Amino acid sequence: MAGPSLRPHVHWAQRHRELYLRVELSDVQHPDISITDNVLRFRAQGHGAKGDNIYEFEIEFLEPVEPNPVCRVTQRQLNITVQKKESSWWERLTKQEKRPLFLAPDFDRWLDESDAEMELKEKEEEKINKMKIESRVPKDPFRHLKKGYLVMYNLVQFLGFSWIFVNMTVRLFILGKDSFYDTFHTISDMMYFCQTLAFMEVINSLIGLVRTPLVPAVVQVFGRNFVLFVILGSLEEMQSKPVVFFIFYLWSIIELIRYPYYMLACIDIEWKPLTWLRYTAWIPLYPLGGLAEAVCIVQSIPIFSETGKFSLGLPNPLNVTVQFSFLLQIYLIALFLGAFVNFRHLYKQRKHHLGPKKRKMK
Amino acid sequence: FVSYQVEILDWKTKEQLCFLDKVEPNATIREIRLMFHKFYPQWYPARQSIKLDPKGKPLRDEEILQHLPVGTTATLYFKDLGPQIGWTTVFLIEYTGPLFIYFLFYFRMPFVYGLDERFSSSPHPVVNLACICHSFHYIKRLIETVFVHRFSHGTMPLRNIAKNCLYYWGFAAWVAYYINHPLYTPPSYGKKQINFAVIMFLLCEAGNFSIHVALSDLQRNGSKTRKIPYPTKNPFTWLFFFVSCPNYTYEVGTWISFTIMTQCVPVGLFTLLCFIQMTIWAKDKHGTYLREFKDYPSLRMPIIPFLL
Repeated sequence: MAGPSLRPHVHWAQRHRELYLRVELSDVQHPDISITDNVLRFRAQGHGAKGDNIYEFEIEFLEPVEPNPVCRVTQRQLNITVQKKESSWWERLTKQEKRPLFLAPDFDRWLDESDAEMELKEKEEEKINKMKIESRVPKDPFRHLKKGYLVMYNLVQFLGFSWIFVNMTVRLFILGKDSFYDTFHTISDMMYFCQTLAFMEVINSLIGLVRTPLVPAVVQVFGRNFVLFVILGSLEEMQSKPVVFFIFYLWSIIELIRYPYYMLACIDIEWKPLTWLRYTAWIPLYPLGGLAEAVCIVQSIPIFSETGKFSLGLPNPLNVTVQFSFLLQIYLIALFLGAFVNFRHLYKQRKHHLGPKKRKMK
Repeated sequence: FVSYQVEILDWKTKEQLCFLDKVEPNATIREIRLMFHKFYPQWYPARQSIKLDPKGKPLRDEEILQHLPVGTTATLYFKDLGPQIGWTTVFLIEYTGPLFIYFLFYFRMPFVYGLDERFSSSPHPVVNLACICHSFHYIKRLIETVFVHRFSHGTMPLRNIAKNCLYYWGFAAWVAYYINHPLYTPPSYGKKQINFAVIMFLLCEAGNFSIHVALSDLQRNGSKTRKIPYPTKNPFTWLFFFVSCPNYTYEVGTWISFTIMTQCVPVGLFTLLCFIQMTIWAKDKHGTYLREFKDYPSLRMPIIPFLL
């Protein structure tokens, strides 16, 4: 059924250690490339000189090559890189003396032997220079201590929030909805401890121990602690509300992902599923967490209005009136605006970390 | 004698808006603006931004056609700056507002503190003093606007006036509300605090006025070129040794003294905002001076001697 097979245009170039083949086919999906007995066999469906068709070719190399070619596909062509078994300069590409009709030199990548040697020499010099520069900058003598401290910090936080999460889950199973009402009573001590410790994250960023910028760290720590200490901590009435359960539960789930990720990152270990979680779980969790915090604040506003807590009335020596409930309303607006900014930033981070992958040949 | 031709294009669409024939080589941009205005009566000269390059800086009124880098057929670009309002008008509106708004609170209009307190007066002398100082400050500003200031740009966009008035009038109302409140508490250190504040207030107002007069004298000859301001025989101007914009320094001093006098947090907040805004303006001015004059005195800081 297939007619005489079509050959694509192939351009080639070499260096002392490798060969470059450029196949002029566009829109190739699944190229079939292999090397057996020192013969490169290529077959693929694509768009070439004779339109959309199946193109194939074979090349028997002049000298032995490694049997694992690397192929990079772009929209307009395929680039195949083949490693020579021995470093030498070939006078031609193919074993046969006559050049195949579909093969032509690739003048974009072509170098003659002396130029290629110079290129090699330059690369060697660059490596030596780099090593010289690196040895001039002394390595930080405290870096092990710093890493140890960071690992410990993240570990302690992880353990704290694990305790909170497990405790809340068990109580949820045993008591059901009734566990909502005394969540604060049971969990608050541990939560106070963990969130007070979280101030260290601001200091770590301030003294440059971690690479996180200062402002997001400050916003996160102060935002949470404001809800915890000012809204919940100072108003007994708020502590028995069900929203506390949701706030604490969501916070602990978020931290159960964040702290292990940081802990492993400190010792340069990456566990891909955890990375994916860390950069994806925020999508449901952060909006829900923000919503829970907002509900909490909204519920607290009438209480602050009635009791006049944190409010200042006339007469007073400062000659000013402060209505805390009014300030809370402004804070809510700021919360929503801040959430938008934060989410945009997190989305960009996600794209950067879970970014596009290079396609490798099967 | 070659007469020029000037074509004026819209800066965005590049369509030709007007073609002026037989323009004198020594015509100024001001005259060109007037000619353009005849074609388009709705775009009075203050509203016209005329540039050599669509994305460039606007040309000044005094620039002369033949000194510009153009051939005998000049291409100029026009941009509409929107309705404009004169600086003098702006300042008059901005400063009269606080003056009268403060009186509404001082005389305790019934809608402010309720019917029971209407038109009553405060038992504290410092409240009367504060009213006198506040009014003095804004009357002085109005007088300076009419008789002393010389403005480098004639106009500003109309929408700025809404923003500026909201700020000045709003703060005047907020501050006046607390100072003239029936439950106002006079300063904690009593007469000592008030007297100190009054003296500081008067010194700063005198200083501010001296600087404005000195700056306006610099431009007396009508020349539009900038000159470095220097201290004169008036001791208040000696701040020029240390600071590029002593008028802003004195202004902040005035508001600090008013805060001490009234011991009122809203006044303190207003002082803080003034300080921030004036520091930004002073740093800007200082930077412009440094760029324009190679021999600018190196001891000078923008607004606070040796510090900022």
